[in-house]
Amino acid sequence: MKKFNKRFFLFFLVLSLILVVTACSSGIEADKEVVEVEKDTVIFGDAGWDSIRLHNAIAGFILENGYGYETEIMPGSSINLLEGMISGDINVMMEMWQDNFIAYKKSREIGEVIELGTNFDDNAQGLYVPRYLIEGDAERGIKALAPDLKTVEDLKKYANLFPDAEDPGRAIIYNGPPSWEATTIIDIKSEFYGLTEDYNIVGTGTSAALAASLSAAYVKGEPWVGYYWEPTWISGKYDLVLLEEAPFDESLWTEEESYACEFKSSDVTIAVNPEFADRNPEVIEFLTNYTTSSLLTAQALAYMQENDASIDEAAKWFIGENEDLWKNWVPEDVYSKVMAALE
Amino acid sequence: MFEFPQIFEFKIGKVVESFVEWLTINYAGFFDSIKTGILFVLLKMQMIFEWIPWFVIIGIVFLVGWKVKGLKSGIAYTIMLFLIGVMGYWDQMIMTISIVLAAVIISLVLGIPLGIISAYKKRVDIILRPMLDAMQTMPSFVYLIPAIMLFGLGMVPAVFATTIYSLPPVIRLTTLAINSVSKEMKEASQSFGATPLQTLIKVEIPQALPTIMTGVNQTTMMAMAMVVVASMIGSKGLGYSVLIAINRTDIAMGFESGLSIVFLAIIIDRLTQSIGTKYKYD
Repeated sequence: MKKFNKRFFLFFLVLSLILVVTACSSGIEADKEVVEVEKDTVIFGDAGWDSIRLHNAIAGFILENGYGYETEIMPGSSINLLEGMISGDINVMMEMWQDNFIAYKKSREIGEVIELGTNFDDNAQGLYVPRYLIEGDAERGIKALAPDLKTVEDLKKYANLFPDAEDPGRAIIYNGPPSWEATTIIDIKSEFYGLTEDYNIVGTGTSAALAASLSAAYVKGEPWVGYYWEPTWISGKYDLVLLEEAPFDESLWTEEESYACEFKSSDVTIAVNPEFADRNPEVIEFLTNYTTSSLLTAQALAYMQENDASIDEAAKWFIGENEDLWKNWVPEDVYSKVMAALE
Repeated sequence: MFEFPQIFEFKIGKVVESFVEWLTINYAGFFDSIKTGILFVLLKMQMIFEWIPWFVIIGIVFLVGWKVKGLKSGIAYTIMLFLIGVMGYWDQMIMTISIVLAAVIISLVLGIPLGIISAYKKRVDIILRPMLDAMQTMPSFVYLIPAIMLFGLGMVPAVFATTIYSLPPVIRLTTLAINSVSKEMKEASQSFGATPLQTLIKVEIPQALPTIMTGVNQTTMMAMAMVVVASMIGSKGLGYSVLIAINRTDIAMGFESGLSIVFLAIIIDRLTQSIGTKYKYD
């Protein structure tokens, strides 16, 4: 009998709790419906690198506080996120590195996704070395081991600086992850510059592994040469030098010509799901106007790194610092709402 | 409703990060020598495997399969191995085997003694168990990034990661095996005047061997499961082909390299398993 009572009491307790919770939440929902009529939740894709996270946070902050949208962030690898955007599970990607992303170019051509505009286009990629390798670093007591290293071809003279532990007697250049178009291009270029005689061009499995190998070399002050790109957290945190090549020339940028010039700065664009675009013209207008630069992005990432700030704090900082820039992206009333939310 | 109070916040991770950085800078020589050692063994092993002609390897697998399992199994393994070659993944398979083998050897050398110790000493077992849980559940990239910082990129951190993941089963099953040797057996051996060491070597271990061999088998299979993760930190082999295929959405290549991993796993699993049952002590 006693046991039964206890059970009954528990059941009653749980039931009342459920009732209270549902009553509350339905109340809140009812309130919302009066104010705003069915706004989509804007779902951003987070492909895992720092700058796309930052842009997600900036655009998210403006959409939430200025336009009153709910936003959500969905992490994944870029190829999976692209599939998600085609099927409509993801609405917006803030950074599409189209020159490195063949599948995206195909989807854009057949209209599975819509490209809105350029987020930034003043970026760089190629073979990098730490600056202390060329100029030395008196503070850390590092000697300049390769004072005359300026161009990619100069690497031939310095092969002894970058030994490959797994292949004694040869040198190593760290390349990007296997799927990236840039990785293939670096392979072909290295052959053209005659680097493959002394160097192994080693693909790193993931961008995280590439970054870790660079970090390890940098903290130890050791030589390192490999593929990297800007803007990134790493390029903001460490002082790297891009090795020079001939200026970009469209006619050289083919496989037959071995891509024998520097990387063109790649258009990094914003893409959305077409159905989402039809439903939300004001979001599209905002995102079409959304244009930043590599430098501004790198500044915000450096701020984040120096102040140990979260991505949201860095986004707020960016919005506060670059008021004149984003003022032009949004209508007057949105502007004042965002400014109000900033305080 | 109730947010966790901010005053209690403390970034434990920061301490770990500084520690790893400190290790990287101050103990570079120490980690470099470990790296050189492991790498030396790995490269030699790979060299030997590459030096043995392919038909000899297939022949050995056939003979072992025939001896321990039967003629049909032997033929089946031969066909599987041959197919890996047909699909063009022979070299990658050799590299995968060297990494898996190195990780398994390290796991056994560390794992079996640790398992025996923790069977004898309750306290060791209590300390060891949560560590083994962590090794099996901690997402591998969490410790892979520090591993790359310390050991560089390539085969060595791959072996490190694989060992961490494949070590727990052999420890757990060795402990279990020793603990489940019947009391009467031990008492009998002691009453004949055997020292504890003699009891361990002549009674407990032979009795425990089938279970320990299951542990060895599990360890090997775990090591095979890490092949793709290992390739994410720059080790070549079958995993790297899978990785390339996934990233390119190349279904054909993904299927072939994935299937090669399955074939290799089946062969290794069946062989180690049946060697295990051969030791059965009746």
